[in-house]
Amino acid sequence: METLNNFLTGTATLFGDPVGILIFFGGVVGGMLFGAIPGVSMLTLAAILLPFTAHLSAEHGIMLFSVIYCTGVYGGAITAILFNIPGAPENAPTAFDGYPMTLDGRAGKAVGAAVMCSAIGGVVSCIIMMFATAPIAGWAISAFGPPEIFALVFFGLAVAASVGAKTFWKGWLSIMAGLMIAVVGLDPVGGIERYNFDMPYLAAGIHFIPTILGFFAVSEIFVQAERKATGAYKAPKLSVDFPTFKELWLHKIAVVRSIIIGFFCGILPGIGATLAAFMGYNEAARWSKDRMAFGTGKIEGVISSETANNSATGAAMIPLLALGLPGGALTAMMVGVFQMHDMEPGPLVFINSPELVWVVFSAMFFANVSILLVGFLEAKTIVNLLRIPFQFLAPMILLLATVGSYAVRGLVIDVVVMFVAGVAGFFLRRSGYSVAGIVLGLILGKIGEQTFAQAMQMLHFEFSGFLTRPIAFGLLFAGFVTIGGSVYGAFFKTKNTADTDKQAT
Amino acid sequence: MSRLKTRHYVEAAFWLVLVVFFFAYSFEFNKDIEIYKYGATLWPRTILFLIALAAIGQLLDQRKNGDKAASNTMAAAHEEPEFSDEHSGLAWYISTFLLLCIPFVYMNLPEKIISGMSIPEDGSGRIKIICAAVLFIIYVIMAWRNMVGGILALPIFFAAVLQDFGFYAMAPFFIIGIMLLMGERRGGRIVLIMPFIYGLILLFFVSLLYVGLPTGNVTPFYNFGNWIVTLLQ
Repeated sequence: METLNNFLTGTATLFGDPVGILIFFGGVVGGMLFGAIPGVSMLTLAAILLPFTAHLSAEHGIMLFSVIYCTGVYGGAITAILFNIPGAPENAPTAFDGYPMTLDGRAGKAVGAAVMCSAIGGVVSCIIMMFATAPIAGWAISAFGPPEIFALVFFGLAVAASVGAKTFWKGWLSIMAGLMIAVVGLDPVGGIERYNFDMPYLAAGIHFIPTILGFFAVSEIFVQAERKATGAYKAPKLSVDFPTFKELWLHKIAVVRSIIIGFFCGILPGIGATLAAFMGYNEAARWSKDRMAFGTGKIEGVISSETANNSATGAAMIPLLALGLPGGALTAMMVGVFQMHDMEPGPLVFINSPELVWVVFSAMFFANVSILLVGFLEAKTIVNLLRIPFQFLAPMILLLATVGSYAVRGLVIDVVVMFVAGVAGFFLRRSGYSVAGIVLGLILGKIGEQTFAQAMQMLHFEFSGFLTRPIAFGLLFAGFVTIGGSVYGAFFKTKNTADTDKQAT
Repeated sequence: MSRLKTRHYVEAAFWLVLVVFFFAYSFEFNKDIEIYKYGATLWPRTILFLIALAAIGQLLDQRKNGDKAASNTMAAAHEEPEFSDEHSGLAWYISTFLLLCIPFVYMNLPEKIISGMSIPEDGSGRIKIICAAVLFIIYVIMAWRNMVGGILALPIFFAAVLQDFGFYAMAPFFIIGIMLLMGERRGGRIVLIMPFIYGLILLFFVSLLYVGLPTGNVTPFYNFGNWIVTLLQ
């Protein structure tokens, strides 16, 4: 009852203030728009708006960022589905099936599924967040120490190796390449510079925003350009035929499973929505009777990925608000907003500024509801971008990506890095590697190494210490089984294929 | 029977050379950390070991199966690579590599000339313009024969000249270049679409959101960039 009262008070504060309403709707539209324009993302918008939040009150500033977070994660699905350019890393698995659906003339179905499932995932996650922030945060922090988080990262990477690439080996190499990119810069324990090649830019590490834009947006332009040059280019088919409720109801179990996965990943600091989306997608495929059809345009792929990533948005606020630990890039920027207003996120926020917390919770709830309302309208409009011939869309996307990568830190070298990553992504994709895997490795690399180092210090440098922690051991075991299964499957299938070939000859 | 092709050897060699190179370089930062006995090298070296393992595993797999290497992954169907003879031969790779070198030549050459010939600061802009123009002509000649290579190199070239010539002066040329490389040949469309894209981006980001984009540091490009910013803000 107290929660409901707090929620109503938060809602009244949010909608009782004209400035608050304006900022809320600005955030909703801005997040969706920046998420859905290929080449820029919600992170670009957040980076642009960060200095302006100094002129806003703390409530308005944090609320704006949380609204952008919810709607931006959904918006990124639109570009993933329509152009094979995920708006954010958490939308990467959405493209695996969303884009083939677009090529197949079912863009409307994919976008409709993304709208519905993003809203469902986000709303459910918000409700759980409102009722259970304190106990969940307490449980997560006591049950999930560095060994468990490292084990989860390992398990997540093991799972992701079998998604997106042509073979398991290429998937694994893609992830390892991402982990190696994350190694560049300062080592997380001793602050020792690694692989900087005497370049000041590399001393701080390769920034992930230009790298992600390069691997996703720029490499896609190059791939399509090559297809145009070879005559293999297929113009996507326009359709605004949204899925029926009955079609979505068939996948209710995938939705529930993805909500649980998304929420669980979201509450763990540093893990966030990206791993949630990959794991949601992978689990949907694992439990499906038609596993190998994933990646060819199955609506369940879009549903599982989008539900999981939006479910993680509400959950990601739990470690941020309750413990002061950001779960990703955008939540890290929120810490910046807190600091601009002489505040520190953490348990004291609940005591010192309860009104701020409840305004944020209410705003996130209504932002997810508005995905359903505004999202359908936006989707109907944005699908029409497919009418634009690609030779006109390409320079626009490349210029937007230029602005997007430059705006974050004001460095031209970031633009160079982005285009170089685009070229690398083009050649890797050509050879069957997964750019989504590289990006996942890049994002989880730092947290993986940091938690491994902390875990080893905690366990007095005894690897056997992992065996005494059931959750960590379980996750590591599951990760090894996943890898072992993939390697075994790869060689077992090799035999079959070889036999088939022999019979054919 | 081995089904390995040159491409498979090249792929494996690429990863293994990368592993050797990064492993050798890791000795540069192989320092002790008081509170962490594994130091700064354990993590990268473990990753390198796993890369080597996967590269060898892949080669063994390809040895049995060739291009039909076994897979139990959920690969995105639209990511299936489409090799054409025109864009996968050695000549194409060499031509593309040379095209990709052009922007990096620009990033180093003017500075070398300026410092080597002790050219005063007011003359450095002219050197940059001449270098950019010469390299651009070389780029056009090469890209004419290799459009895909050209489209890979043009954005990097654009990024390489941004610092000196600015976003505002270079963006129109970049838009036209991409449209041409993408196969658009109708002059009327190019003339109409280019200002539309340019204007839209400047209005939205510079005028509305006050995003500061590079104005360049070489006259008259710098003056032009500032003039646009003043006009829009």
